[in-house]
Amino acid sequence: MNFDDLKKEWNAETTEGSNISSDMLKIKQSHTPIDKIRAKMKHEFFYQLAFLVFMVFIPFIAEFSVALNQLYFMTYAIICGFTAYYFLKFYRFYKNSYDMSMDTRKNILWFYYEMKLNIELYKALTYIIVFIIVGFMSAYFLIEKATVFAKILTRLSIVYILLNCFITVLIIGLITELWAWYCYGKYLKQVKKVVDELDYE
Amino acid sequence: MKETENIFLTLINQHAAIIHKISKMYMNDAEEQRDLFQEMVLQLLKAYPSFKGNSKFTTWMYRVCVNTALIYLKKDRRKVDKTPFDIHTDVIDVNENEGKEEKLTYLYAAVQELNEIEKALIFLFLENQSHREIAENLGISEGNARVKLNRTKEKLQFIIKKNGYEF
Repeated sequence: MNFDDLKKEWNAETTEGSNISSDMLKIKQSHTPIDKIRAKMKHEFFYQLAFLVFMVFIPFIAEFSVALNQLYFMTYAIICGFTAYYFLKFYRFYKNSYDMSMDTRKNILWFYYEMKLNIELYKALTYIIVFIIVGFMSAYFLIEKATVFAKILTRLSIVYILLNCFITVLIIGLITELWAWYCYGKYLKQVKKVVDELDYE
Repeated sequence: MKETENIFLTLINQHAAIIHKISKMYMNDAEEQRDLFQEMVLQLLKAYPSFKGNSKFTTWMYRVCVNTALIYLKKDRRKVDKTPFDIHTDVIDVNENEGKEEKLTYLYAAVQELNEIEKALIFLFLENQSHREIAENLGISEGNARVKLNRTKEKLQFIIKKNGYEF
């Protein structure tokens, strides 16, 4: 196989009719993994916002006691605080532009670590919110359903209770990891594949 | 803004073959080639303000286009965006050229079996880039670029031969 001949043909290849019109410049939707993740995170932001609005009405629907009401709104404020903090970070990620004219290694690594960092942030936010909600649910049972809860506790051994707590944490962790992988993992995997191909010697 | 766009259009139309060839190397299907073509034009437009003229326009274009092709995600065909536009790109099917440029037809078919980085290496090599330039574009050492390119050329020869062609 003569690569010099191939080069000649390659360079002589004509692309007649290949005219880029100004209409094509109107397209704004990108299809890089980072743009996909940004678009999904934007959607999640609106779902989260709707969830926070819905949370305001829960005490009125569930008719909490005064003590539980105070605890609920403290929990709510903490969730809002964490959500605002993380979404501020996501917003910066959303607005941060990328430079495709860097060399391939720098470009790919930038994409990879930027995506990885934001997926980890996303998981951290999910853990925090879920554990705050679990904490509140425990408080709800201790305050509102104290007698029923006490009865249940007397029938169960401490080992059983601890084991249940441990399994609950594991399940929450597993669901969060699987959800993050389902939503964002494939994009990270694709970029990681290119990083590995570049590093392979 | 309009003037910048016009200058940009003139420049990329002069070198549209680069975008055209990369889309054919990275995508097998004509529709996917068209999508990748659009994506490269979009990324070039977005990156254009960062082009300061310190390097040749084609060098800058190679980088943006190769980087875009490397991380491009194929569109979900069930949810293709319906942005109306008139595309005048002559995206050529691999079999379309048969008889005309047989070698290139076999080449485009064979490169589909290479991985993403190997495609970039072969593309830059065919564009007459030296080992040093390939290394600079990919961000690897010159020695590494040489080794990788030689391996890729051997692999490509093997694939073309396996496909029943030799030149």
